[in-house]
Amino acid sequence: MYFEEAVRMLLANPVRTFLTIIGLIIGVGAVISIEVLGHSMAGSISETLGALADNSFIIFPGTMQGDFQKAAIRLSDLDAIKNSVPNIASATPVSGTDELIRYGHNLGRFFLSADSNPPFANTPIAYGRRISDDDIANAVDVTVISWKAYNRLFPAGGDPTGSSIYAGTHRYVVVGVRAQPRQGALNVTFGGDVSIPYTTYVREYVHGDRILAARFTVNDISTLPQTETAVINRIRELRQVGPDVRYQSFDKASFTQGINGVFSAITIVVALIGAVSLLVAGIGVMNIMLVSITERTKEIGTRKAIGARRGQILAQFFIESLMLSSIGCFIGMAIGLGIGGFVNSVFIIKLTGYTAPLPYAQAMAITAAFAAFVTAVFGTYPALRAAALDPIEALRYE
Amino acid sequence: MNNGNPHPAIVLRAITKTYKTGALEVPVLHGIDCNVARGEYVAIMGPSGSGKSTLMNIIGCLDRPTSGTYVLDGEDVSNLNDNALAEIRLKKLGFVFQGFNLLARTDAQKNVALPLFYAGINGRERQRRAMAVLDEVGLRDRAHHKPNELSGGQQQRVAIARALINDPAVLLADEPTGNLDTKTSADIMALFDKLHDGGRTILMVTHDEAIARRARRIIRLLDGLIVADEPSSLTVP
Repeated sequence: MYFEEAVRMLLANPVRTFLTIIGLIIGVGAVISIEVLGHSMAGSISETLGALADNSFIIFPGTMQGDFQKAAIRLSDLDAIKNSVPNIASATPVSGTDELIRYGHNLGRFFLSADSNPPFANTPIAYGRRISDDDIANAVDVTVISWKAYNRLFPAGGDPTGSSIYAGTHRYVVVGVRAQPRQGALNVTFGGDVSIPYTTYVREYVHGDRILAARFTVNDISTLPQTETAVINRIRELRQVGPDVRYQSFDKASFTQGINGVFSAITIVVALIGAVSLLVAGIGVMNIMLVSITERTKEIGTRKAIGARRGQILAQFFIESLMLSSIGCFIGMAIGLGIGGFVNSVFIIKLTGYTAPLPYAQAMAITAAFAAFVTAVFGTYPALRAAALDPIEALRYE
Repeated sequence: MNNGNPHPAIVLRAITKTYKTGALEVPVLHGIDCNVARGEYVAIMGPSGSGKSTLMNIIGCLDRPTSGTYVLDGEDVSNLNDNALAEIRLKKLGFVFQGFNLLARTDAQKNVALPLFYAGINGRERQRRAMAVLDEVGLRDRAHHKPNELSGGQQQRVAIARALINDPAVLLADEPTGNLDTKTSADIMALFDKLHDGGRTILMVTHDEAIARRARRIIRLLDGLIVADEPSSLTVP
């Protein structure tokens, strides 16, 4: 009955109702659409990072420091670290070089990189296998190539394993092909296009002791951050440098955390914008409810004369505010989801090849919270005022 | 219609009402004593400022007397709080206003059923009882018309039906024909006669001598006092 009357009142003045809720529609619409976009951006970044192995981290000398050379990690440090720092399963150099790669008459310039087992990227394998421990132990001349390299070098398709490709005069036997990653403009390929065992790489390409960076895998993933610190400390000892020489580490978990931090910051900004629009829209709702109560003073007097209690008048106007703000908020939500979904399917999918599903539950929760907040804060006063009207005065009102 | 209930419908004893506007005290009623028996049909008359609206508000439980005792249908209602007064209006009183005061955009049946909603009665029962009272006022076939689709007389009938739906101890009518033409007024007065014949207690405020004479008893107020209380000289055949 209260709801029925509220609907009737709102429909009685459709233009006024619409103008009142338009602020809510815009506010909630903006918040929800940005929420959707943030959600799918974060989703696509973590999807991209998903190709990185969880149990590994990379240490490299911090850039932007005085004596960069002094900080350089040595190839010879790796065994020492592996033998002295607990929880380290493997320590391998991270390095790579641009090479002209040839198969038959097909040529392409690709990034040839050192890889280990488990591999740098856990991208699925389309043909053959990954680099094995045996390949590494014996520094065998084998390679796993990316889908991109495969397409260039083997345009005819088919299983290329067993074929030989050449980097200059070095010959490598293709033992595996990594599967095609999702298609997107921002797609990042981890691990290089032509991966060879790091031992092979060191033998063929590393001259001198200095390496770009080192990659470590751990046995126990739960203590990975502590292991990172221990490794950095060990490197400082080995290099005989103080804490002023900085090293940076990179692992999937902390990188993901960093990304999530950025999105939390965006979320806070959006929440602030939402709060302001909520305030403005809420004042609009309150204003129109006060106008409506003034217009219906005589009606309220009549209701009271025929026996409506204060609480019943209060409930009627409170529910009217609730309907008004709920309608506004849920239209806003629908529009927000619509805009978010559209931008997702038109732009974000092109950037990253991936979009997260629309966060319906989250959107519903945000919208319901908005509606409840606006009603509670801006609907209560008008309803109280209506309930407190003196029936005699109200009946006399023209 | 409360037959078998031994109490008079209305007992007023030494009712006074004084309005306070800042430091200024405006006495309006100076001591009203009056009984209205069950089934009586009474008109209250008096010029502007005589206090008849104030008296009507007190009898209608919209206002409390400054002093004195008001017993409605056996219950002392002189000093009840707002919600208790609302409850009394809901259960024991029916209001008919000069301007009908129907909810716009709401059909006759729902208008009539409104008091039952406030009494917490379910929708089906509300509908059934609203149809029964609309039948009583001869508007069964207009149940689903909205006020703007009804004539003034029909609207006032709907308002009367709304006043009757809770089976009130007293039906209060404030200038019920004030907004109606002569012929329609006659129709409404005929309906009041019929309700009186059916045993309803009716209290009506009016300026119109001819309308007042339709009642069986006329109370005349002047400057906050009852100056005359006599049977109506004109009896309707």
